[in-house]
Amino acid sequence: MKHAWKELLHGKRKYILIEILLILLMFMVLFLSGLAEGLGRAVIAGIDTMDAKYFLLDDEAEELITVSSLDEEILETVKAQTSSDVVPLDIQRMYLIKDGDTEKLNITYFAVEPGSFIEPAVAEGKRLCEVANEADADGRYPVVLDDDFMLEGISLGDTVYDSSTLLPFYVAGFAKDQMYGHVSIGFISTETYTKLREELSPMYTKKYHALAIQDEDIEKISVEGTELVAKADIISNIPSYTAEHLTITMIVWVLIIVSAVIIGIFHYILTLQKRKQFGVMKALGMSTGELTVTVICQVAILSVFAGAVALGLTFGMAAGLPEKMPFYLRFDNALVVTGVFIVISILSSILSIVNISRIDPITAIGGGEE
Amino acid sequence: MSMLEIKNISKSFRDGSEENHVLSGLSLSVESGEIVAVLGPSGSGKSTFLSIAGLLLSADSGEVFIGGKEVSKLPKSKWTRYRKEHIGFIFQSHQLLPYLNSADQLTLFQDKKNVSKVDAMELLKELDVDSCKKKYPAKMSGGEKQRVAIARAFVNDPEIILADEPTASLDAKRGRVVVQMIRDEVKKRGKVAVVVTHDERILDLMDKVYRLENGRLTEISNS
Ligand SMILES: Nc1ncnc2c1ncn2[C@@H]1O[C@H](COP(=O)(O)OP(=O)(O)O)[C@@H](O)[C@H]1O
Ligand SMILES: [Mg+2]
Repeated sequence: MKHAWKELLHGKRKYILIEILLILLMFMVLFLSGLAEGLGRAVIAGIDTMDAKYFLLDDEAEELITVSSLDEEILETVKAQTSSDVVPLDIQRMYLIKDGDTEKLNITYFAVEPGSFIEPAVAEGKRLCEVANEADADGRYPVVLDDDFMLEGISLGDTVYDSSTLLPFYVAGFAKDQMYGHVSIGFISTETYTKLREELSPMYTKKYHALAIQDEDIEKISVEGTELVAKADIISNIPSYTAEHLTITMIVWVLIIVSAVIIGIFHYILTLQKRKQFGVMKALGMSTGELTVTVICQVAILSVFAGAVALGLTFGMAAGLPEKMPFYLRFDNALVVTGVFIVISILSSILSIVNISRIDPITAIGGGEE
Repeated sequence: MSMLEIKNISKSFRDGSEENHVLSGLSLSVESGEIVAVLGPSGSGKSTFLSIAGLLLSADSGEVFIGGKEVSKLPKSKWTRYRKEHIGFIFQSHQLLPYLNSADQLTLFQDKKNVSKVDAMELLKELDVDSCKKKYPAKMSGGEKQRVAIARAFVNDPEIILADEPTASLDAKRGRVVVQMIRDEVKKRGKVAVVVTHDERILDLMDKVYRLENGRLTEISNS
């Protein structure tokens, strides 16, 4: 341990260079996993942040909420079958236009019962359940928008229109981190949604896309032609999510492994340079075990320090990123990535340890070729 | 009884298809407080002999006793520990670790149980490298480095000191000072020292002088 530390201190210049490399590699990995997670969030956040454990869908929907269709009565039937809270959910991809503008903005409506457990908290303004759930004096209905719409110049109280029906909304509130399939969400009440559908086609009969079930009490739920789907399965079936997520996750892990191998090779080169020195230490009575501890200590010191700095850099950088950048990294996830990185770099020094164990202390004596 | 007793050691290396008999029936016995020199031309087997005596290499046959104990019987797994506790090495070039100052060169190799027996800083003083305590090898002269290396050899209170051409990297005057110091420490602490050397000018500091020829040692008169 003392050897490890004193050698690092004495070789400051050399080890600082290695440290910079380590920090950059770790930063790159952390930053990319933040971007990967951020991209993923843009697809799933709306569902993922919902406090629901299961969703009831029609059994031909292939676990996809947007193509599911349930008759209105099923809500009451299911409510009677479970003690868990059951509420309807509709998801509809449409366009929004700002007042006095012609540009169409992508929006995914999430229609919920105001006050139900799947209604999100707001960062600004009021929730749907906090405002009158009907048209205001100007005939506008309340909508709670994802806060990305703020970047489009929309503010609280503004009037916006559904592009195909020209149904007017007023912005009651903004919620954070509400995206579905790369599109920002606008929450409206189920009633408003029905109104919207009726405007689209007068023949509309009220149906739900899905029912969200809050808790685990699902044993007795059984309705002909429907199936219960766990939240995780709903998420992995959102179009393109699994494929995208898998690709990006793979890239991150490949990067972690490649970086760890690079670090392993660096330590291996250092070990090769120090073979003579290790031979002398062995001749003087230090065991391979003691030398192994020294090497592992050095790798651990270098990588833990690099990990700490890289974490600081990543979160510092994240704070300064533009809002639009899909960067999302939870501290505990970042710690896991850093931890894995540290463990893999320590494992990669096994190569060096094998090399050290093969050094014959007899090399210290004799020729002394230097 | 001799502190170091080597009986009938043979060692050969395979050299392609030929056997290279380096040592054949070499014997040597050294008493406590004695310093002996082993002379011989390059390639005569001096380092091989020293490695066998120092538990760095096993002989094909023969025995090595240190303090009456037959160490040539020890399994290889015990060698490292045994070297640390009983054998002090002085190498041809100092072989100090570049990242340690002189004080650490000694204390980081000293077993805890020897701290009370041997005062590392006192050793540095005796070898007149007191002033180098905080210096790193890169900042020291060849003679200073070799003297720190000698101090290191004594730090675990070993029974025997094995030195392989300790003066090779020094000029005549400094070489002589260094060997004188090895001699003084050996006498003072009652150790055994075997010094392999080319350097005929230091032979008057030796109690006995041997020549390694045809794989054996023969004592030559020490005038
Ligand atoms: N590991 C080895 N393998 C093969 N031959 C060796 C080995 N070590 C030493 N030798 C041979 O043994 C002889 C004696 O070597 P060495 O003991 O180093 O001599 P000296 O120290 O007297 O110069 C030399 O001919 C050398 O080539
Ligand atoms: Mg030699």
